[in-house]
Amino acid sequence: MTRPELTRRVFLARAAAGAVVAGAAGSALSPRPAWAAAKVGAPAPAFTAPATTGNPVSLGDYRGKIVVLEWTNHDCPYVRKHYETGNMQALQKEATEQGAIWLTLISSAPGEQGHVSPAQANGLTTSRKAAPTAVLIDAKGTVGQAYGATNTPHMYVIDTNGVLVYAGAIDDRPTSRRSDVQGAQNYVREALQAVASGHPVKTATTRAYGCTVKYL
Amino acid sequence: MGPDGRRAGRSGAIAMAVALALLLAAGVRIAGADGAGPRVQAQLVSELATIEPGGSFWVALRQVIAPRWHTYWENPGDSGEPATIDWSLPAGFEAGPIAWPHPERIPIGPFMSYGYEGEVLLLTRMKAPADLAPGRAVTLRARAGWLVCEKECIPEEAAVELTLQVGPRAARDSRWADAFARAIRAVPMPSPWPAEFTATAAEIEITVAAPGLAADRVADIWFYPREWGVIDHVGLQRAVVLRDGIRLAVARGALSRTAEQPIEGVLVVKERIDGSVTTQAFAIRAVPAGPARLGAGSALALAQAAGLALLGGVLLNLMPCVLPVLSVKALSLVQHAGAAPWVARAHGLAYTAGILVSFGALAGVLIALRSAGEQIGWGFQLQSPIVVAVLAYLLFAMGLSLSGVMTIGGRIAGVGSGLARRPGYAGSFFTGALATVAATPCTAPFMGAAVGFAMTRPVGEALAVFEALGLGLALPYLALSFVPAHHLLPRPGPWMERLKQFLAFPLYASVAWLVWVLSQQVGPAGVAAALAGLVLIAFGAWLHEVSRGAAPRWRRAATAMAALAVVAAVVAGQVGASAGPRAPGPGVARETEPEAFSPARLAELRAQGVPVFVNFTAAWCITCLVNERVALRSPAVAEALAGQGIAYLKADWTRRDPEITRILESFGRSGVPLYVLYPPARGTGAGSGEPAVLPAVLTEGVVLDAIARIRSSAVQ
Repeated sequence: MTRPELTRRVFLARAAAGAVVAGAAGSALSPRPAWAAAKVGAPAPAFTAPATTGNPVSLGDYRGKIVVLEWTNHDCPYVRKHYETGNMQALQKEATEQGAIWLTLISSAPGEQGHVSPAQANGLTTSRKAAPTAVLIDAKGTVGQAYGATNTPHMYVIDTNGVLVYAGAIDDRPTSRRSDVQGAQNYVREALQAVASGHPVKTATTRAYGCTVKYL
Repeated sequence: MGPDGRRAGRSGAIAMAVALALLLAAGVRIAGADGAGPRVQAQLVSELATIEPGGSFWVALRQVIAPRWHTYWENPGDSGEPATIDWSLPAGFEAGPIAWPHPERIPIGPFMSYGYEGEVLLLTRMKAPADLAPGRAVTLRARAGWLVCEKECIPEEAAVELTLQVGPRAARDSRWADAFARAIRAVPMPSPWPAEFTATAAEIEITVAAPGLAADRVADIWFYPREWGVIDHVGLQRAVVLRDGIRLAVARGALSRTAEQPIEGVLVVKERIDGSVTTQAFAIRAVPAGPARLGAGSALALAQAAGLALLGGVLLNLMPCVLPVLSVKALSLVQHAGAAPWVARAHGLAYTAGILVSFGALAGVLIALRSAGEQIGWGFQLQSPIVVAVLAYLLFAMGLSLSGVMTIGGRIAGVGSGLARRPGYAGSFFTGALATVAATPCTAPFMGAAVGFAMTRPVGEALAVFEALGLGLALPYLALSFVPAHHLLPRPGPWMERLKQFLAFPLYASVAWLVWVLSQQVGPAGVAAALAGLVLIAFGAWLHEVSRGAAPRWRRAATAMAALAVVAAVVAGQVGASAGPRAPGPGVARETEPEAFSPARLAELRAQGVPVFVNFTAAWCITCLVNERVALRSPAVAEALAGQGIAYLKADWTRRDPEITRILESFGRSGVPLYVLYPPARGTGAGSGEPAVLPAVLTEGVVLDAIARIRSSAVQ
């Protein structure tokens, strides 16, 4: 270091200053629209959305039950990985047989990948032998944004007190390879087991992997 | 691209040409059709055409990505998946992990992805076994997979292979030399600066201790965390370049982690250089900030910052730059001891007002200049040598007055010290202003954090913090002025005169300090000018004193002389200030460091026929720093310079030396970096030794090539 720098440092720079807002890091991009992303450990945001059967479904209807939320987009390779291997359906059956509620949500906007009519959604449930309690159409994305759902699949588990206890990926293999389903650590299954036995969820937040949710 | 990749791997130039042709055709197909065919053309490439037994070399999965589509970095951001390469290597070969080039941020709707567009080389360091037989060929095979997304995502996979010749000596593959140089340059280098962070429930603030960067050159700063969930990927990153480093505030991610874990990631800094922008990437490992910095290691809220500023302001009274000014105040306290209590209080309030107004004015100027793009900080006024010189004169005159050399009668109110010591409240007000000017270059405990905070906030909040600092500075005297002093002090008497005389010495000490500051700013010539100015001030003071009571005619003449002396002193200060930055003294050059540049030295070396490499650089130039680290300080470059007998000069433009500015301009540049290689001047004839200008972004290869070129031209 040359001595002029030393001078500056001793007498001026130590005054801690010299600020110029450096380039608007991020000026090109507006911050995320104020999403009140749901927080693990806090009450899950309430919502009401139309089910494919025609009736509106509210989270509040299921107070006292364990609720699983699954964001989906049937054309997303990562969703297909779990449906074409039967992995998702098995988990749905397992959960609902134990008395849990399974809500599948579709937040794809009209015209975007994964957007379906109620009839198409019901057709997919039948053809894929899926076993959710209900499939909800969230075409405006309000429910997805309330939960901060970024990916398909994006999974959430809500306990009997209405507290969000798990948010993130379905398992620990963030790939679209079907062969990775075998032997994966399924975070949703673990969360369901923990909640059912009254234990805290060990892995409560993970990186959801998959395709982006095709919001409006 | 599967099949194309396999073909590309076949050895020989013909196969490569075929592959390239296919690639081009594929590109056309993608551009023309809508979504048919693979989005990524992938192939395996190597920096070496011929490898040697036991050698290490770079290979890369080269992805040519269709327009508008992207692939992912190792942390893909809100969604996505990084590429994988599963190697199937001949016996004895070892492949390292992927060395990821720094990503770009790719906003997709409300999400943020980290990845690559266009073309990317995912580098892997490959080691060949020592028992490889030269003369044979080896084929490296891999199964590569990646996710490519536009809005929708498609997982793609390809089997890729690459056949390399084995020889006794390694040989480069010139086709990929540029691509590899760029890719290696894009891999984050270990940060030369330490980093730390503080965390609140909502935010993480990362501080990178990179002092002296030029904020106006920084076009963009982004921090890419290595792991998901540490920060909110899409959230705004508020970055500021402070004099002591880069501060970056980002929203926290979803993953709650203990505050003790370091945060790793890549800091990408885009720097403006002569109209273009270069990108530098640094691998950062931020450790939790020590408790010494910000108390409990939490980022500051406005109230906290104001509190710290207040405390810092109080402590500022004890710092050497303010103490002497306070001695004047102490004296006035003593002098007002006999007066009615409200007089002392009114003086205290006037002094406080003086401080608050001048703090407000300084902060306002600072904020205004800052928003106009000036790279200045708190205490900026003392960066100007003339301000330092005038402040020294002022304090010196006040000291002379206290010493009894001159008595301020209030008739020459224009003398600053007279103003500050005027019996009226204006005097107290101006003492406050003087205390402010003297205080700002000093820093007190707690102050740094508060000022740093203020620099990153909107105008209103920044002003609030600065005013809290000023209030802290004023507070002790204000409090004293509200205590009836005559109860605490001995009765007035000769001791007051001796106290007054004694209090001159802190002022002289301050003058000595300011002259030292000047010596650092402008060197010996400036110091000589300032000292001459001080002599003139003393002379003016003496004239002013001896002419008291003289006939009005003489009095006027003496006053005129005194005023002339003061003007001459200021002019001397001005001349001294423009004496220019001091030449780097002996002992600046270290170890393998280059010699300091001067036009004379360059001319001398060139006259001797010595080839010269000049590195025009500055401490605040990030690209310069990176170039030195990745290229100029490499052993190969040092060897080549020494081997060719090239003199290496470093022109330090940190202080914008006008001589260097002229040379930069002669090369059509308005700033650094600039690298010029002067070939040996041959004879006196024309055409001898046109200097070669190297690119602004250096790699080892670029420098070595330039050196090789002057060697070959010298041989001709």
